[in-house]
Amino acid sequence: MASQDPTAVERFINGILPENPVYRQLLGMCPTLAVTGAVKPAMTMAAATAFVLISANVMISLIRGLLKPHLRILVFTLTIATFVTIADRFLAAYMYQMSKQLGPYVPLIIVNCVIISRCEICSSKQRVGVAIADGVGMSLGFALALGSIATVREILGSGTWFGLPVMPESWPKWGIMVLPPGAFLTLGLLLGAAEWIGRKRAEKAKQNR
Amino acid sequence: METLVILVQIAIGAALINNFVLHYFVGICPFLGVSRRVDTAFGMGCAVTFVVTIAALLNWTFTYFILRPSAPLPAWVWEMAGGDPQTEIDLSVLSYIMYIFVIASSVQFVEMYVRKFFPHLYKSFGVYLPLITTNCAILFACLEIMKHLDDPTGLWGVHEALTLAVGGGVGFTIAISLMAGIREELDLCDVPEPLKGPGIALIVAGIMAMAFMGFAGVDQGIQNAIRLLLQ
Amino acid sequence: MLTAVTMILAAAVLAILAIAVAYVLGWANRAFHVEVDPQVEAILESLPGANCGGCGFVGCAEYAEAVARAGADVALCAPGGAGCARRLAEIMGVSVSRTFPYRAVVHCAAHEDHKLDRTPYDGEPTCAAANLVAGVQGCTFGCLGLGDCTRACGYDAIHVIDGLATVDYEKCIGCKACARACPRNIITMVPFKSDRMLVIACSNQDAGPDVKAVCQVGCIGCSACSRNAELMEMKGKLPMIDYDRYDEWADFTVAREKCPRESMLYVGKPSAEDLAAVAGEEMPSRIEADFKTTVDETQWRG
Repeated sequence: MASQDPTAVERFINGILPENPVYRQLLGMCPTLAVTGAVKPAMTMAAATAFVLISANVMISLIRGLLKPHLRILVFTLTIATFVTIADRFLAAYMYQMSKQLGPYVPLIIVNCVIISRCEICSSKQRVGVAIADGVGMSLGFALALGSIATVREILGSGTWFGLPVMPESWPKWGIMVLPPGAFLTLGLLLGAAEWIGRKRAEKAKQNR
Repeated sequence: METLVILVQIAIGAALINNFVLHYFVGICPFLGVSRRVDTAFGMGCAVTFVVTIAALLNWTFTYFILRPSAPLPAWVWEMAGGDPQTEIDLSVLSYIMYIFVIASSVQFVEMYVRKFFPHLYKSFGVYLPLITTNCAILFACLEIMKHLDDPTGLWGVHEALTLAVGGGVGFTIAISLMAGIREELDLCDVPEPLKGPGIALIVAGIMAMAFMGFAGVDQGIQNAIRLLLQ
Repeated sequence: MLTAVTMILAAAVLAILAIAVAYVLGWANRAFHVEVDPQVEAILESLPGANCGGCGFVGCAEYAEAVARAGADVALCAPGGAGCARRLAEIMGVSVSRTFPYRAVVHCAAHEDHKLDRTPYDGEPTCAAANLVAGVQGCTFGCLGLGDCTRACGYDAIHVIDGLATVDYEKCIGCKACARACPRNIITMVPFKSDRMLVIACSNQDAGPDVKAVCQVGCIGCSACSRNAELMEMKGKLPMIDYDRYDEWADFTVAREKCPRESMLYVGKPSAEDLAAVAGEEMPSRIEADFKTTVDETQWRG
């Protein structure tokens, strides 16, 4: 089956839209809902996750020969925990306000299903180059998902985007959007939209055949 | 008596007002995945409560005695080695690694124990135990407890930590059981195709979150009631 | 200096914790050891894991235990097929004769126009309900065409086409869900010893004139087939094919020619001639209404 494994470039492109971790694989929902109240924390979280994902992929790919089957999840988790500690300390040192705003969700990257599942599916079986491409693709996809949800919530909820006002002064800010219910509703509706787009494309592909 | 009031506040806060799933967004994966039927959802909720209690207990012990900024054990080792007793040794950088290690190991241990001594129980919720290892809710409870061990003025004792853990677990069970009940009914409804499955589940969760927002202030009322009763 | 101390202490704490936990878990592994039958594990791995219930047990795990402990037949798994039966036989140390996949066969050939004496039915649109009402169609044995089998099938392998339930043999895995769902019990499981099998496509046990009054293609019980084919035998007014002795090379040509009705059919995957005949044609796309109202699927709870 080796010839049918996706190549590095294919994995990179897969991670962005076709196998988007949030919209298609439904993983990593906890940070997606929690930090997308505004675009800035969402992008910070996406960057932190990208760092952890790519580093963990590289590390696991390098030690993939040493992994025992029944201990592998523990090894993945500990590796990820190390990199998350680094990311968390970095944020606390250089972006203190953002770190306080993100709060407990940075350490929760440890249990982000996206990273563990990529380690399990890809980097524990592939060489470093492929693992890096997969990590970068998935990170971009994750950032895209977080960005889209945060954009909707921030524009409707505070009338700003990345802190810059985009709605007129008279816009009644939909407070519910920055509160937990808004997160659930936005993600549910955007998931429905992504599913609808996916179906339309599948139908068109079937018609063209 | 004040302790009781504080414990009630923590418990109701964790279970209802700041519900782990509907306010803090932790434990969404099992919330969406296991909530198709009420009996499996309830089993999952019980398993989560059980594991979070054990994990919170162990992690509180480790944090209190080893990891927090002025913890007794490293200070004692440092003194034994002839160091200056005034310096503060802070091992809290190890927190995340230690928490996840303890959680994974304790879940493994509990699974083996339940499988051996309670085979009937193992059949009903034992299969969820490995899933819980990567459950955000457990790690989140431990992080909340750690937050209250950093502040030397309001240090949390083991009773407060356990109350938070059990309260959080009960809140998770309430939320997931409610969601399962609603989803069982949703199966018979005319949901638009693109929204079927996780889409409509999230929208329902949003409405549930709005409902749970109404619990704000309930803890104040109960605290006042307790103070009045125990006066 | 303090950094070095912190690092040493941190490493020491982690090392001690790792050793302690490894010791405890190692002890627990031995102390809490549960005897797991390796046979059950091996069987579980060989089964396809679809949990379809076709074997008659609640799930693949139950079937694995039944095979290992209670001596259940190793060839009950329809989705697993012959390969799975062979693997199970190896694990259990029994021999298994050549098994064939069981597939669903609808014993009715009457499409909408063939059914006579049909009255408009406005009740609950399920076969189970229509079966309870007299007079929905003339033939009280044949397919009602209201789709209970379609709804029961989890593999999209049976559909009601022109008033008759039709099995798609590319998709059928033989889980028996449709056979259980049919209220008239006219779907049976037939071992498919070749890709196309001869079946008796009628379930009507009445005598000739009565059958002719209600159906244009039903079996009239004339016995012409059973007189000309060894593998067919009349049971009352309906022929039965002995599938145990059925052979894909058996010649039913004479019997089929003698049959005055269309009661014997070859069913199965399309034969080479059929495929060649339609090779050049474009399949017309099915025109379907592109809206659904909730009323279409309402169950009438009168």
